[in-house]
Amino acid sequence: MFFHIVLERNMQLHPRHFGRDLRDKLVAKLMKDVEGTCSGRHGFIVAITGIESVGKGLIRDGTGFVTFPVKYNCVVFRPFKGEILEAVVTMVNKMGFFAEAGPVQIFVSNHLIPDDMEFQSGDMPNYTTSDGSVKIQKDSEVRLKIIGTRVDATEIFCIGTIKDDFLGVISDPGATS
Amino acid sequence: MSLAADSPVPSSSSDDLAAFLDAELDTASDASAGREEVAKVEESDVGDEGDYDLDLKRVKRCKVELSEGIINLQSSSSQEESAEVSGGSSSPKNTMCPHPGVYAGMCMKCGQKVDDETGVPFGYIHKNLRLANDEVARLRDKDLKNLLRHRKLYLVLDLDHTLLNSSRLADITAEEGYLHDQRDALPDTLKSSLFRLGWMHMMTKLRPFVHTFLKEASNLFEMYIYTMGERPYALEMAKLLDPGDIYFNSRIIAQGDCTTRHQKGLDVVLGQESAVLILDDTEAVWGKHKENLILMERYHFFASSCKHFGFNCKSLSELRSDESETDGQLATVLKILQRVHSLFFDEGRKDDLEDQDVRQVLKTVRKEVLRDCKIVFTHVFPTNFPAEHHQLWKMAEQLGATCSTKLDASVTHVVSMDAGTDKSRWAVQEKKFLVHPRWIEASNYLWQKQPEENFPVTPANSK
Repeated sequence: MFFHIVLERNMQLHPRHFGRDLRDKLVAKLMKDVEGTCSGRHGFIVAITGIESVGKGLIRDGTGFVTFPVKYNCVVFRPFKGEILEAVVTMVNKMGFFAEAGPVQIFVSNHLIPDDMEFQSGDMPNYTTSDGSVKIQKDSEVRLKIIGTRVDATEIFCIGTIKDDFLGVISDPGATS
Repeated sequence: MSLAADSPVPSSSSDDLAAFLDAELDTASDASAGREEVAKVEESDVGDEGDYDLDLKRVKRCKVELSEGIINLQSSSSQEESAEVSGGSSSPKNTMCPHPGVYAGMCMKCGQKVDDETGVPFGYIHKNLRLANDEVARLRDKDLKNLLRHRKLYLVLDLDHTLLNSSRLADITAEEGYLHDQRDALPDTLKSSLFRLGWMHMMTKLRPFVHTFLKEASNLFEMYIYTMGERPYALEMAKLLDPGDIYFNSRIIAQGDCTTRHQKGLDVVLGQESAVLILDDTEAVWGKHKENLILMERYHFFASSCKHFGFNCKSLSELRSDESETDGQLATVLKILQRVHSLFFDEGRKDDLEDQDVRQVLKTVRKEVLRDCKIVFTHVFPTNFPAEHHQLWKMAEQLGATCSTKLDASVTHVVSMDAGTDKSRWAVQEKKFLVHPRWIEASNYLWQKQPEENFPVTPANSK
């Protein structure tokens, strides 16, 4: 799920950046450091939308670096247990498949794939129903439900299922075999 | 992007919001009041009950507990259902889920945190994947049935000295310098199989016939790469051997995936041991699976490879020659693999295929090589060494020959390192074949009885 929240971060700036463009440089550094990272608590920081405030800088003893506390608004993405997401399948193997929804990787094990779907190996390994009507292969889009998330320092892993109602393939990739 | 503090900001701080959502959506506490909204949406989705599995039951049970505080929108039939479920045990998923596997610390089936370290890690598929032993067995069975239906077996391939030969750039000798200095002048066959990997400081030469071999083998086998090299090296080599990523897909096993140090094992291969064949140049690393192994002759293209194994001769690159494409080791092994495959699938009837063991078939094929040969060894084993335990004796027996220590009329071959011994002279006298031990080894590698005249024994002093 996406959220728009205020986060705070202490940015350290080297004295060579001091001058007329101090705030611009600070903001540029913030964006470079923070966009695309993941924190366990808030999820993936997708984009910074604005700066709320920049506090007074504090000069650190010993070095000339100055620390500014910056409050900024950003869009974050964090998956939750029970959430339903659309994802793109990236890898299919006999244990299940891996799908990606933006920056988060979700694993759906074959225990949580409907029983009528069988694994077919080959050039393009896939899961297919017995009548061939529904197929899950690389680059298919699926709707899945997250049943577990585990948060690392820098990454979020999820387990998903497509065994419930209204879950499963949304669209097949263009090429059919 | 404005630096002024004008953007709309929610009143609650971000930490509070995250904590609030965490608490609400955490299913450890089932009956939390805040889930009314979530439950309401789910209730409207409850149509006709279809088949139930554990997950659905759990969701319905939670809804039952909430419905005490909410207007009951459910139909009477679902109410009966839920009443029945809530009368059951406190938390069905905790006691009944067998936790078949663990992905990033969570059970693959129920999503709970599982912290145990049992089972086998499958790091080559994904670095956080572990499977319980039962699950591995179940998957193996299921996969075997699937593969047998497609008339395929499993093939595990080693990389170094089996399918290719690599050398560090620093070890390239002066005589081999032509390989990268005059690259354009090389013949096409050489150019297409010689690769320079600057970022890994290596040069790699693919064994002749390897592309045809892989293409033919992929029709009969599901293939794995299993190397003692490191993962990045393995992935690079796989890219060279399989640019389309069709042969190996995610089945590349490297050193870090071995469960026992310095030993390769079939425990990380998702295939039944009775249907796996292994192609490797080293026997020692396959301690427990020697019967599945087809030993390959080592491919030494680069000088550094020859030196590493203690050979003082010039390497193939220095001699500017190469193994024969149509007659080399890979072509021979391919024929053997095709033979084993056809024997496996033609002998067994469809129902019994699962009981067939590829190791038995391999033994049968091996026993045909030196069939009808009776061998006596002389001056080959150290004195006072029990002859039956010697590697050559065992190799000859595996190849179908009978070995003996006594000379008699039924003996066909005398294997000797010195033409001057009594037994050697007896062989010449009785017009029996007198051959060097290499004859047995060559027959082993080439899966064919070699012409005896190519392995004469010199009458010099013992080596």
